[in-house]
Amino acid sequence: MRYTLGGYLISETHKSIWRSRMSSFLSCGTTALALFLLGVAILINLNLSHLFTDVQSQMEIQAYLTMEASEEDAEAAIQVAQALNGVAEVRYVSREEAFRELQEMFQEKATVLEGIENPLPASIRLTTFRPEDVPDVVARLREIPCVDDVIYQEEASRNLAVLGRVSQVLSLGGTVIVGLVAITVIGNSTRMTIEARRHEIGIMKLVGATDGFVVGPFVLTGIVLGMFGGLLGAGLSVGLYNYLTGSLESVLPFIPILSLTRGTAINIAGILVITGVAVGTLGSALSLRRHLNV
Amino acid sequence: MRGVSKAYPGGMLALNRVSLDIRKGEFVFIVGQSGAGKSTLIKLLYREEVPSEGQVFVGGRDVARMRRREVPLLRRKIGVVFQDFKLLPDRTVAENVAFALQVTGYSGRDANKAVSQVLSMVGLRNRQNSYPGELSGGEQQRVAIARALVRNPDILIADEPTGNLDPDTSLEIFRLIERANRYGTTVVIATHARHVVDAMRKRVIELKRGSVVRDVRRGAYDD
Repeated sequence: MRYTLGGYLISETHKSIWRSRMSSFLSCGTTALALFLLGVAILINLNLSHLFTDVQSQMEIQAYLTMEASEEDAEAAIQVAQALNGVAEVRYVSREEAFRELQEMFQEKATVLEGIENPLPASIRLTTFRPEDVPDVVARLREIPCVDDVIYQEEASRNLAVLGRVSQVLSLGGTVIVGLVAITVIGNSTRMTIEARRHEIGIMKLVGATDGFVVGPFVLTGIVLGMFGGLLGAGLSVGLYNYLTGSLESVLPFIPILSLTRGTAINIAGILVITGVAVGTLGSALSLRRHLNV
Repeated sequence: MRGVSKAYPGGMLALNRVSLDIRKGEFVFIVGQSGAGKSTLIKLLYREEVPSEGQVFVGGRDVARMRRREVPLLRRKIGVVFQDFKLLPDRTVAENVAFALQVTGYSGRDANKAVSQVLSMVGLRNRQNSYPGELSGGEQQRVAIARALVRNPDILIADEPTGNLDPDTSLEIFRLIERANRYGTTVVIATHARHVVDAMRKRVIELKRGSVVRDVRRGAYDD
């Protein structure tokens, strides 16, 4: 005979999952699907930020100073630029440096430039943390008196910002919708178990079981199903990602795809399992509240 | 009970200003025709129902005003036995009895001992590994009584405990309950078992259309 409380909880949870294995399987599967999508969303976002960093490094804002700008003017402009919101890096390129760059570009034909007086102005080159910060930074730079002109890839930065936002909204929206479906399916499975065990629950309450004791196995069942859903979703998303990136890298080597480190994969799995547990707890708790009046 | 009335939705008045005292250690039969209010009175004692009016004191506490989380603690002091036994068909006799201990977190060797003792008392020690479906009606009711008594309750309440049993088995069940009463448990039984009430000569409270019409110390089923 088994009388211990822990033993009771485990055995009741096991029984409840086994007795209604079809609905348990369905709950676990739906949760896994939701968390697979969340995993995909996380991976897409990680890749986008990787891509942004990659593109942003090539997407500099160049603020050209007037030819008359003194070193003090340049120094003041740099300080203003550094204090701007969203600015990641600021680099000053003097007239001489700019001319040297030009000479390097011409390489062996650099002789063409011999004897010519340096026509290039000094400039401040900046990068931002996020592409959506670019227009604001550009506008501020234009307000600096010694700044003559500001050049940047306007359309590229705008497109990147829109792409980032759309992908975030789509992936998170999809996750939320499937997550709600998972909560409903787990809730429904809990309701069916409650119906099947109504007689037993009645007797439990009659002999003095607290609400906590009655709902314990139901909540634990939800947690276990959510946790397995999370593990399954993590395995699927990380496994599929590794498989796809492996094949893509050989076909399209120029696309900057993020390769997952062990640590990142564990973090993603952790997030998905914790979310799965939350989905399971929420689904069973909502159903218990509605159908068991506890 | 002080001026207790109970009206169900639809306006049906099951109890009408009932006042009565049951002292610790008493053995009381509640009799009356079907619909007289016996079951309602029983349900008020373990707070399956709450009165529409009046107060119900159990062990000095007004159960109608009890908070929800206090109800399990009340029920742990009360053993309840029903006509339909209310046993779990997928658990053995011993597990059914142990269930009452388990839900209150009581476990281990002491629990095993308590289950064995109470099963010996009701004469079912040798059937402890049987399932309810393998037992006769009388045996099933003895399991229910064992479950009600395993926690040594202050009060034993029974609603038609022998409604499904033949007269000889009924008397046997009542003798078992009487034995618990001798150990100090207060007993309140709603019943139609005329021959048992007549044979045992205990306090009899008769209800008629929701009111107490008779309350005698060593009474019979009828006047």
